[in-house]
Amino acid sequence: MSRVAPLFALVAVAAALPATAQTRSATTNMPVVGSAPQICALQPPRLAPGAQVNFRGLSGETLQIDQMVDSTTLAANAARAAIQFEAVCSFPHRLRIESQNNGLWRTSELAAIPSGGFTYAVPYRAEVSWAGVNTALDADALSRRVAERGVTIDRPGAGTLELRIEIQQGASNVRANAPVIAGYYGDTLRIVLEPQ
Amino acid sequence: MANSLILAAGAIIALSAGSAAAQSATDTKSFAVTGNVPALCSGGTIVGGGSTFDLGVLIDTTTGLLRTDLAAPPKVLSGSFCSSRSTISVAATPMTAQNFTAAPPAGFSRTVDYTATASGWTATAATFATGSGSNPGASQTRPSAFSGDITVSIATFGTNGGSGLRLVSDTSYLGVVTVTLAVAN
Repeated sequence: MSRVAPLFALVAVAAALPATAQTRSATTNMPVVGSAPQICALQPPRLAPGAQVNFRGLSGETLQIDQMVDSTTLAANAARAAIQFEAVCSFPHRLRIESQNNGLWRTSELAAIPSGGFTYAVPYRAEVSWAGVNTALDADALSRRVAERGVTIDRPGAGTLELRIEIQQGASNVRANAPVIAGYYGDTLRIVLEPQ
Repeated sequence: MANSLILAAGAIIALSAGSAAAQSATDTKSFAVTGNVPALCSGGTIVGGGSTFDLGVLIDTTTGLLRTDLAAPPKVLSGSFCSSRSTISVAATPMTAQNFTAAPPAGFSRTVDYTATASGWTATAATFATGSGSNPGASQTRPSAFSGDITVSIATFGTNGGSGLRLVSDTSYLGVVTVTLAVAN
């Protein structure tokens, strides 16, 4: 009997060893990573349907007035157009509207201010709707300078940015309905989506 | 465990018989040698540039939309084995923005779904789509012991909420693919 007992012990140990060494499952984790950088993007403009009055249309990035003055009074004609851009800003950002000339000014003459009560710059208003925010820049043409308007937007934005440009009937930097002096008038309007 | 007990009992009987014959000129003693091969699995080691699927920039920076050419080289779990009938399971969590944790604004999403696949172990690869409410193919069973490589890949990326949504800006989008080899009952 005393010789049997050690054999029992040997068997018991052999049976116990596998129980502690078993790995019945093995798991491997693999992270999947990426990033989305801060971007603001404006797609090329398009004319909003049905929103155009006295404009010839959009050619590239140029919007040309059809009849700038009334042929009998030479006062500025009313004109209106809406332009849309597909846009995205993937982070809180700032919208800025910038008029290079603060109105429509003659591109060919930068120096002398004419006398005789003629309009020599035509004011206009630019309104922008974007990401649920509406803002406007009044380019009053009282002086030739850069004019801008900015608004902060504390969230990402995506969708359509709409720009509405409006010239009032008889708009003038001298007095309402003053005749407009002959020339080629223009301005560069910039819409900027940028970091705050 | 049942087999061990039987062998042990046999050994005891043999040993007792040896004692009973101790008075003869020849003495014989027998003893049992027992062993056990447990059912176990090993997941192997990852080869091919670490364990991370790095997709880089997720968006088309001109539109803000999810890139349509997202891809990452597959990972290989080399030297995997199971000494018995086994099940391979794959699970995955979608890639989510780690810093932008608020609800995304209109037009945006903070989650990228994808499909993870583990192939090479079973005839039918195990697949898991993070955007799917049900993944019946995520676990596959192999009826026999096996040793070999498992190839893990990710594909079919999509913006959660729809392809028209943009991803909110975030320096870290993170998800995890988990592959489990387990002894099947």
